[in-house]
Amino acid sequence: MSTEIQSLAVPLLKGSLPSAITDQPAVLAIYLLLILIVGSALLSVLLRNLVFAIAAFSATMAAVALLYLMLAPFLLFALQLLVFTTVSAALLLGLLRRTSGMEPAPESPFSPELGAGVVVGAALLALVGVLVSATNWPVRISGIASEGFSGSLLNDYVVAVAVVVVLLASAAVGAALLTNQRLARRLRR
Amino acid sequence: MKAGLSLVLVASAALLAIGALGLIVKRNVIVMLIGSQLMLTAAGLAFVAFSRFGLGAVNANNGSAVALFAGVAAVTALAIGVAMAAVVYREHDTLLVDEYESVAD
Repeated sequence: MSTEIQSLAVPLLKGSLPSAITDQPAVLAIYLLLILIVGSALLSVLLRNLVFAIAAFSATMAAVALLYLMLAPFLLFALQLLVFTTVSAALLLGLLRRTSGMEPAPESPFSPELGAGVVVGAALLALVGVLVSATNWPVRISGIASEGFSGSLLNDYVVAVAVVVVLLASAAVGAALLTNQRLARRLRR
Repeated sequence: MKAGLSLVLVASAALLAIGALGLIVKRNVIVMLIGSQLMLTAAGLAFVAFSRFGLGAVNANNGSAVALFAGVAAVTALAIGVAMAAVVYREHDTLLVDEYESVAD
Protein backbone atom coordinates (compact mmCIF):
# COMPACT_ATOMS: atom_id res chain seq x y z
CA MET A 1 0.00 0.00 0.00
CA SER A 2 2.73 2.41 1.01
CA THR A 3 4.67 1.60 -2.17
CA GLU A 4 1.62 2.50 -4.24
CA ILE A 5 1.22 5.85 -2.48
CA GLN A 6 4.88 6.64 -3.02
CA SER A 7 4.68 5.77 -6.70
CA LEU A 8 1.73 8.14 -7.07
CA ALA A 9 3.34 10.94 -5.12
CA VAL A 10 6.74 11.00 -6.76
CA PRO A 11 5.65 12.15 -10.25
CA LEU A 12 3.67 15.01 -8.70
CA LEU A 13 6.55 16.24 -6.58
CA LYS A 14 9.20 15.73 -9.24
CA GLY A 15 7.80 18.56 -11.40
CA SER A 16 9.83 21.75 -11.16
CA LEU A 17 7.85 24.07 -8.93
CA PRO A 18 8.10 27.77 -9.74
CA SER A 19 9.84 29.74 -7.05
CA ALA A 20 8.59 32.99 -5.54
CA ILE A 21 8.94 36.16 -7.60
CA THR A 22 12.13 37.99 -6.64
CA ASP A 23 12.33 40.63 -9.36
CA GLN A 24 12.06 43.78 -7.25
CA PRO A 25 9.83 45.96 -9.52
CA ALA A 26 7.42 43.01 -9.97
CA VAL A 27 7.40 42.32 -6.21
CA LEU A 28 6.72 45.99 -5.50
CA ALA A 29 3.87 46.01 -8.05
CA ILE A 30 2.35 42.88 -6.46
CA TYR A 31 2.55 44.41 -2.97
CA LEU A 32 0.92 47.64 -4.21
CA LEU A 33 -1.83 45.71 -6.00
CA LEU A 34 -2.56 43.59 -2.93
CA ILE A 35 -2.78 46.70 -0.74
CA LEU A 36 -5.09 48.28 -3.32
CA ILE A 37 -7.25 45.13 -3.47
CA VAL A 38 -7.69 44.86 0.31
CA GLY A 39 -8.10 48.63 0.82
CA SER A 40 -10.69 49.13 -1.91
CA ALA A 41 -12.57 45.98 -0.86
CA LEU A 42 -12.76 47.35 2.68
CA LEU A 43 -14.02 50.68 1.34
CA SER A 44 -16.64 48.97 -0.83
CA VAL A 45 -18.12 47.32 2.25
CA LEU A 46 -17.79 50.24 4.67
CA LEU A 47 -18.74 53.27 2.56
CA ARG A 48 -22.24 54.58 3.16
CA ASN A 49 -22.58 56.19 -0.28
CA LEU A 50 -23.54 53.29 -2.57
CA VAL A 51 -22.17 54.90 -5.74
CA PHE A 52 -18.74 55.24 -4.12
CA ALA A 53 -19.07 51.69 -2.73
CA ILE A 54 -19.68 50.32 -6.25
CA ALA A 55 -16.75 52.40 -7.56
CA ALA A 56 -14.49 50.93 -4.84
CA PHE A 57 -15.73 47.42 -5.72
CA SER A 58 -14.89 48.06 -9.40
CA ALA A 59 -11.42 49.21 -8.33
CA THR A 60 -11.00 45.92 -6.42
CA MET A 61 -11.99 43.88 -9.48
CA ALA A 62 -9.69 45.91 -11.75
CA ALA A 63 -6.78 45.46 -9.33
CA VAL A 64 -7.44 41.70 -9.23
CA ALA A 65 -7.34 41.74 -13.05
CA LEU A 66 -3.95 43.48 -12.96
CA LEU A 67 -2.72 40.86 -10.49
CA TYR A 68 -3.93 38.12 -12.85
CA LEU A 69 -1.86 39.80 -15.57
CA MET A 70 1.25 39.06 -13.51
CA LEU A 71 0.30 35.60 -12.23
CA ALA A 72 -2.10 33.98 -14.70
CA PRO A 73 -2.67 33.62 -18.47
CA PHE A 74 -3.51 36.80 -20.38
CA LEU A 75 -7.00 35.50 -21.23
CA LEU A 76 -7.98 35.47 -17.55
CA PHE A 77 -6.77 39.07 -17.14
CA ALA A 78 -8.77 40.19 -20.19
CA LEU A 79 -11.94 38.40 -19.04
CA GLN A 80 -11.61 39.71 -15.49
CA LEU A 81 -11.13 43.30 -16.66
CA LEU A 82 -13.45 43.46 -19.66
CA VAL A 83 -16.26 41.10 -18.61
CA PHE A 84 -16.39 40.42 -14.88
CA THR A 85 -15.51 43.97 -13.73
CA THR A 86 -17.68 45.88 -16.19
CA VAL A 87 -20.68 43.51 -16.04
CA SER A 88 -20.64 43.48 -12.21
CA ALA A 89 -20.43 47.28 -12.02
CA ALA A 90 -23.15 47.70 -14.66
CA LEU A 91 -25.50 45.28 -12.88
CA LEU A 92 -25.02 46.96 -9.49
CA LEU A 93 -25.40 50.47 -10.95
CA GLY A 94 -28.49 49.31 -12.83
CA LEU A 95 -30.02 48.02 -9.59
CA LEU A 96 -29.14 51.27 -7.86
CA ARG A 97 -30.72 53.26 -10.64
CA ARG A 98 -33.91 51.16 -10.60
CA THR A 99 -34.27 51.73 -6.87
CA SER A 100 -34.19 54.87 -4.77
CA GLY A 101 -30.47 54.73 -4.15
CA MET A 102 -29.47 56.91 -7.07
CA GLU A 103 -30.59 60.42 -7.95
CA PRO A 104 -32.18 60.82 -11.39
CA ALA A 105 -30.10 62.51 -14.07
CA PRO A 106 -30.17 66.31 -13.78
CA GLU A 107 -32.14 68.30 -16.32
CA SER A 108 -29.25 70.61 -17.21
CA PRO A 109 -26.89 69.19 -19.84
CA PHE A 110 -23.91 71.00 -18.24
CA SER A 111 -23.83 69.33 -14.82
CA PRO A 112 -20.72 68.57 -12.70
CA GLU A 113 -21.37 64.84 -13.24
CA LEU A 114 -21.20 65.33 -17.01
CA GLY A 115 -17.92 67.24 -16.61
CA ALA A 116 -16.44 64.45 -14.49
CA GLY A 117 -17.61 61.85 -17.03
CA VAL A 118 -16.05 63.78 -19.91
CA VAL A 119 -12.73 64.08 -18.01
CA VAL A 120 -12.66 60.33 -17.19
CA GLY A 121 -13.61 59.43 -20.76
CA ALA A 122 -10.94 61.72 -22.22
CA ALA A 123 -8.30 60.30 -19.86
CA LEU A 124 -9.20 56.71 -20.85
CA LEU A 125 -9.13 57.64 -24.54
CA ALA A 126 -5.71 59.24 -24.11
CA LEU A 127 -4.46 56.14 -22.27
CA VAL A 128 -5.70 53.86 -25.05
CA GLY A 129 -4.08 56.15 -27.65
CA VAL A 130 -0.73 56.08 -25.83
CA LEU A 131 -0.90 52.26 -25.46
CA VAL A 132 -1.81 51.71 -29.11
CA SER A 133 0.91 54.03 -30.40
CA ALA A 134 3.57 52.64 -28.05
CA THR A 135 2.81 48.96 -28.77
CA ASN A 136 4.75 47.04 -31.36
CA TRP A 137 2.02 45.20 -33.29
CA PRO A 138 1.34 42.26 -33.55
CA VAL A 139 1.79 41.55 -29.85
CA ARG A 140 3.49 38.32 -28.79
CA ILE A 141 2.63 37.56 -25.19
CA SER A 142 5.55 35.91 -23.47
CA GLY A 143 6.08 34.43 -20.03
CA ILE A 144 2.84 32.61 -19.25
CA ALA A 145 1.45 30.29 -21.90
CA SER A 146 -1.87 31.80 -22.99
CA GLU A 147 -2.11 29.51 -25.99
CA GLY A 148 -1.85 26.46 -23.72
CA PHE A 149 -4.58 27.86 -21.51
CA SER A 150 -6.94 28.46 -24.43
CA GLY A 151 -6.21 24.99 -25.79
CA SER A 152 -6.82 23.49 -22.36
CA LEU A 153 -10.20 25.28 -22.11
CA LEU A 154 -11.33 24.06 -25.52
CA ASN A 155 -10.11 20.47 -25.04
CA ASP A 156 -9.95 19.43 -21.38
CA TYR A 157 -12.74 21.75 -20.20
CA VAL A 158 -15.02 21.85 -23.22
CA VAL A 159 -17.99 20.36 -21.31
CA ALA A 160 -17.47 22.84 -18.47
CA VAL A 161 -17.37 25.70 -20.97
CA ALA A 162 -20.64 24.46 -22.51
CA VAL A 163 -22.23 24.28 -19.06
CA VAL A 164 -21.04 27.82 -18.35
CA VAL A 165 -22.59 29.06 -21.59
CA VAL A 166 -25.94 27.47 -20.68
CA LEU A 167 -25.67 28.86 -17.13
CA LEU A 168 -24.97 32.39 -18.35
CA ALA A 169 -27.74 32.28 -20.94
CA SER A 170 -30.21 30.99 -18.32
CA ALA A 171 -29.15 33.74 -15.92
CA ALA A 172 -29.57 36.43 -18.57
CA VAL A 173 -33.02 35.17 -19.61
CA GLY A 174 -34.08 34.60 -15.99
CA ALA A 175 -32.96 38.06 -14.89
CA ALA A 176 -34.76 39.66 -17.82
CA LEU A 177 -37.94 37.72 -17.03
CA LEU A 178 -37.77 38.56 -13.32
CA THR A 179 -37.44 42.28 -13.98
CA ASN A 180 -40.12 42.31 -16.66
CA GLN A 181 -43.03 44.13 -15.00
CA ARG A 182 -45.71 42.94 -17.44
CA LEU A 183 -44.75 39.29 -16.96
CA ALA A 184 -44.67 39.71 -13.17
CA ARG A 185 -48.19 41.15 -13.23
CA ARG A 186 -49.41 38.25 -15.40
CA LEU A 187 -47.86 35.70 -13.04
CA ARG A 188 -49.50 37.36 -10.03
CA ARG A 189 -52.93 36.92 -11.67
CA MET B 1 11.81 41.05 -0.59
CA LYS B 2 9.88 38.42 -2.55
CA ALA B 3 6.30 37.60 -3.48
CA GLY B 4 5.17 34.02 -3.07
CA LEU B 5 2.22 31.81 -2.32
CA SER B 6 1.72 32.87 1.29
CA LEU B 7 1.53 36.58 0.41
CA VAL B 8 -1.24 36.11 -2.18
CA LEU B 9 -3.07 33.65 0.08
CA VAL B 10 -3.07 36.20 2.94
CA ALA B 11 -4.59 38.78 0.59
CA SER B 12 -7.13 36.20 -0.58
CA ALA B 13 -8.07 35.38 3.01
CA ALA B 14 -8.41 39.09 3.79
CA LEU B 15 -10.67 39.53 0.76
CA LEU B 16 -12.78 36.57 1.88
CA ALA B 17 -13.10 38.00 5.39
CA ILE B 18 -14.07 41.44 4.07
CA GLY B 19 -16.69 39.84 1.81
CA ALA B 20 -18.09 37.85 4.72
CA LEU B 21 -18.17 41.05 6.78
CA GLY B 22 -20.22 42.80 4.11
CA LEU B 23 -22.54 39.84 3.71
CA ILE B 24 -23.19 39.29 7.43
CA VAL B 25 -22.97 42.72 9.04
CA LYS B 26 -24.50 45.00 6.40
CA ARG B 27 -28.25 45.11 5.82
CA ASN B 28 -28.29 46.73 2.38
CA VAL B 29 -28.86 44.28 -0.50
CA ILE B 30 -26.31 46.01 -2.76
CA VAL B 31 -23.53 45.80 -0.15
CA MET B 32 -24.46 42.16 0.53
CA LEU B 33 -24.18 41.39 -3.19
CA ILE B 34 -20.79 43.15 -3.27
CA GLY B 35 -19.72 41.01 -0.28
CA SER B 36 -20.66 37.78 -2.05
CA GLN B 37 -18.75 38.89 -5.15
CA LEU B 38 -15.67 39.64 -3.04
CA MET B 39 -15.81 36.16 -1.52
CA LEU B 40 -15.98 34.47 -4.92
CA THR B 41 -13.16 36.69 -6.21
CA ALA B 42 -11.07 35.65 -3.20
CA ALA B 43 -11.61 32.00 -4.12
CA GLY B 44 -10.50 32.66 -7.70
CA LEU B 45 -7.42 34.50 -6.46
CA ALA B 46 -6.48 31.54 -4.25
CA PHE B 47 -6.78 29.14 -7.20
CA VAL B 48 -4.55 31.38 -9.32
CA ALA B 49 -2.02 31.64 -6.49
CA PHE B 50 -1.84 27.86 -6.10
CA SER B 51 -1.53 27.36 -9.85
CA ARG B 52 1.30 29.90 -10.04
CA PHE B 53 3.28 29.13 -6.88
CA GLY B 54 2.04 25.86 -5.37
CA LEU B 55 1.84 22.22 -6.33
CA GLY B 56 -0.82 23.12 -8.87
CA ALA B 57 1.95 24.69 -10.95
CA VAL B 58 2.69 21.21 -12.33
CA ASN B 59 -0.34 21.93 -14.55
CA ALA B 60 -0.73 25.69 -14.27
CA ASN B 61 -3.79 25.89 -16.53
CA ASN B 62 -6.07 24.06 -14.09
CA GLY B 63 -6.10 26.79 -11.45
CA SER B 64 -6.69 29.52 -14.02
CA ALA B 65 -9.55 27.53 -15.58
CA VAL B 66 -11.22 27.11 -12.18
CA ALA B 67 -10.75 30.84 -11.49
CA LEU B 68 -12.42 31.60 -14.82
CA PHE B 69 -15.40 29.39 -14.01
CA ALA B 70 -15.63 30.93 -10.53
CA GLY B 71 -15.77 34.37 -12.16
CA VAL B 72 -18.55 33.29 -14.50
CA ALA B 73 -20.48 31.76 -11.59
CA ALA B 74 -20.02 35.01 -9.63
CA VAL B 75 -21.40 37.16 -12.46
CA THR B 76 -24.31 34.74 -12.95
CA ALA B 77 -25.13 34.82 -9.24
CA LEU B 78 -24.94 38.61 -9.28
CA ALA B 79 -27.32 38.84 -12.25
CA ILE B 80 -29.88 36.65 -10.49
CA GLY B 81 -29.38 38.51 -7.19
CA VAL B 82 -29.84 41.91 -8.85
CA ALA B 83 -33.02 40.74 -10.59
CA MET B 84 -34.42 39.31 -7.34
CA ALA B 85 -33.55 42.50 -5.47
CA ALA B 86 -35.32 44.57 -8.13
CA VAL B 87 -38.44 42.40 -7.82
CA VAL B 88 -38.44 42.56 -4.01
CA TYR B 89 -37.86 46.32 -4.13
CA ARG B 90 -40.96 46.66 -6.28
CA GLU B 91 -43.00 45.00 -3.52
CA HIS B 92 -41.47 46.65 -0.44
CA ASP B 93 -39.90 49.93 -1.67
CA THR B 94 -36.66 49.32 0.22
CA LEU B 95 -33.29 47.62 -0.21
CA LEU B 96 -32.81 46.98 3.53
CA VAL B 97 -33.32 43.30 4.40
CA ASP B 98 -34.46 44.12 7.95
CA GLU B 99 -37.50 45.82 6.47
CA TYR B 100 -38.33 42.63 4.55
CA GLU B 101 -38.30 40.67 7.81
CA SER B 102 -40.61 43.15 9.51
CA VAL B 103 -43.00 43.03 6.54
CA ALA B 104 -42.99 39.23 6.72
CA ASP B 105 -43.86 39.36 10.42
